[in-house]
Amino acid sequence: MTGLLDNVLGGLALGAVYALVALGFVVIFKASGVLNFAHGSLLLFGGYLIAVLHDDLGFAGALALSVLTTAALAGALDRFLLQRGGQDAHSAHVQTIVTIGIDIVLLTDLARRIGGDLLSLGDPWGDAVTELGPVTVADSRLAAIVVSAVVIGGVFALFRFTSWGLSLRAAAEDLEAAALMGVRLGRVRAGAWCLAGALAALAAVFLAAFPAPGLERTTGQIALNAFPAAILGGLASPAGALAGSLVIGLTEALVVGYQSELHVLGEGFGDVAPYAVMLLVLLVRPTGLFGAKGAARV
Amino acid sequence: MNTTHRNRHRTAQAVLVGALALLLAATGCSSKAESGDKSDKAADGLRTGPGVGADTIRLGALTDLTGPYATLGKSIVQAQQMWADEVNADGGICDRKVEIVVKDHGYDVQKAVTAYADIAPDVVALPQVIGSPVVAALLDDIERDKMLTFPQAWAASLLGKDAIQVLGTTYDVDMIAAVDFLTRTKGLKKGDTIGHVYFEGDYGANALEGSQWAAGKAGLKVTGQKIKATDTDLSAQVSALRKEGVKAVLISAGPAQTASLVGVAASRGLKVPVVSSAPGFAPQLMKTPAAPALAAMLNIVSAAPAVSSDLPGVRRMVASYQKKYPKSPVDSGVLSGYNAAQLMGADLKKACEAGGLTREDVVEAHRAQTNADTGLGTPQNFSDVDRPASVETYVLKPDAKAVGGVVNAEDAHAAEGVEEYLSAQ
Repeated sequence: MTGLLDNVLGGLALGAVYALVALGFVVIFKASGVLNFAHGSLLLFGGYLIAVLHDDLGFAGALALSVLTTAALAGALDRFLLQRGGQDAHSAHVQTIVTIGIDIVLLTDLARRIGGDLLSLGDPWGDAVTELGPVTVADSRLAAIVVSAVVIGGVFALFRFTSWGLSLRAAAEDLEAAALMGVRLGRVRAGAWCLAGALAALAAVFLAAFPAPGLERTTGQIALNAFPAAILGGLASPAGALAGSLVIGLTEALVVGYQSELHVLGEGFGDVAPYAVMLLVLLVRPTGLFGAKGAARV
Repeated sequence: MNTTHRNRHRTAQAVLVGALALLLAATGCSSKAESGDKSDKAADGLRTGPGVGADTIRLGALTDLTGPYATLGKSIVQAQQMWADEVNADGGICDRKVEIVVKDHGYDVQKAVTAYADIAPDVVALPQVIGSPVVAALLDDIERDKMLTFPQAWAASLLGKDAIQVLGTTYDVDMIAAVDFLTRTKGLKKGDTIGHVYFEGDYGANALEGSQWAAGKAGLKVTGQKIKATDTDLSAQVSALRKEGVKAVLISAGPAQTASLVGVAASRGLKVPVVSSAPGFAPQLMKTPAAPALAAMLNIVSAAPAVSSDLPGVRRMVASYQKKYPKSPVDSGVLSGYNAAQLMGADLKKACEAGGLTREDVVEAHRAQTNADTGLGTPQNFSDVDRPASVETYVLKPDAKAVGGVVNAEDAHAAEGVEEYLSAQ
């Protein structure tokens, strides 16, 4: 029983971090129809900035600067590189491929800088743990759950209650109509990219924090685990991204936790499980859990 | 209409340029290959072949300076360059200066194959090749070229090849020693369960083979957890191991995984001894939050002694390395790289004395070494291609204050059961 609680809590925490990444995928897709394959390297970029700055600025200062810089980088990439390609469904495909190129360039440079090092981000939680009844959970993971909940709530409020959120939703519904109604598509898009960049930098903190040993050159690849989460939720649905992330986080933790009972499936099934779940869900609901409206755009 | 015309013109141009480039590349390759294959007599009566000129001996290194093992690659390259400089200052080998041609493959097999084809015609041997998959891809080429190669990989699948020499022990032998260490000093007894967290691929598979064999002999049960190089949060694995009630854990992965495993296990109250394969530790770990847990719980099994060991050879090497590269950390890569270079030097000297420096001569000289001792660890026997060069292992333990982050916990010795295991293979 303790084992189950342990795994469930671990899975929820993992899901909360994935949600930050998956929400980035979704916001970008909603605003621009682009699947951002450079998201992992943006995350690594944010993490790397915190790692090099935290000695001088302290953790909070480094985090703030990194979130702003990563947001600015993501926004600039969209504004000055991707938006030149135009704003229709066809050019969105081209831009998706451009993001693969951006990913390679960013990742190569960051990997060169990081080398084989394990960088500490100087987060305040260290290796502290909290006993919750029979289970022990790392403070950094509790922080991940709390921070993710607050930030995701904030993003949802942004969608619902601000004029930018309204413009974004309008643009996602119908680009041309939104443009005719006076929505500045370029700005709305760039804003979405900035938001996704900020979320990525924040996720880097929790992916590098305690149960993991620190930021590595491969940390960005973990963002790929959030990819099935975003797809599974329905790519254009923020609520779906959240639900999908929790499902994927729980699946991963439970499959690895019960690996010996699941031996028939072969060892290392934990790596495949998120994708297996994604396929199963897509078989039943081809548009994802919450993705009914986005179907036409894919 | 006009534009399509121009486009066609451009395409034709591009094709022409491409064809010319191909032609140039092709002729470039063939002229190189011709100069490579023959064995000649040099002015001093020595048989020479590829890589050996009138006053130089060229060695090659296929390393990783930009990929996941960049830190290791840099350490080995610098250590071997230091060796070459020392040898040259001393008059060289066979009255020839030693040069090392370094190629970076970034742990990309395709790039490594190209790099090998590029340097192979001009070098006599390879004292450094990083990466099990790289070595696996080059096996046939290396055997065909009879190029003496020291891979920085220790899977038993690399044994049995005349030109390829795994230095020290293989991963399976290390894990037999690890199980022996646990039963001998940590009170594990018949019926206990041990966990083994291992990387997919040759490294993990070979290590698991050793641990399962040794556990079978000692009446222990092994529960395996296969992981990938990108898994850096081992919380779920630790939960699973705790559920199995393991009394100890073996890990054959990278430094990041070791740090996570030990850190999480300690925080979850799973305070059991953990023993790692040699590649699972790096001095950088002692700067992570997991450092106290590592110091309390971890041991490392290794064919090489700790860099902080007081063997005179090791101390001399560490002192020169720190003087030459004051900003670089001294890790196990420095030791293994320098050791490999010295062994290569000994082979070259021997081949020179026997009157020839062709690749065949070098391999023959190498296989004739039955007690090669560089003073940097245990002596090695290279005469049997099917056996690891050494079966003696050290047990190390982390110490944040020591050079290289580790100190010796047990001196080199052959663990019980290793001989039986090897003769059963």
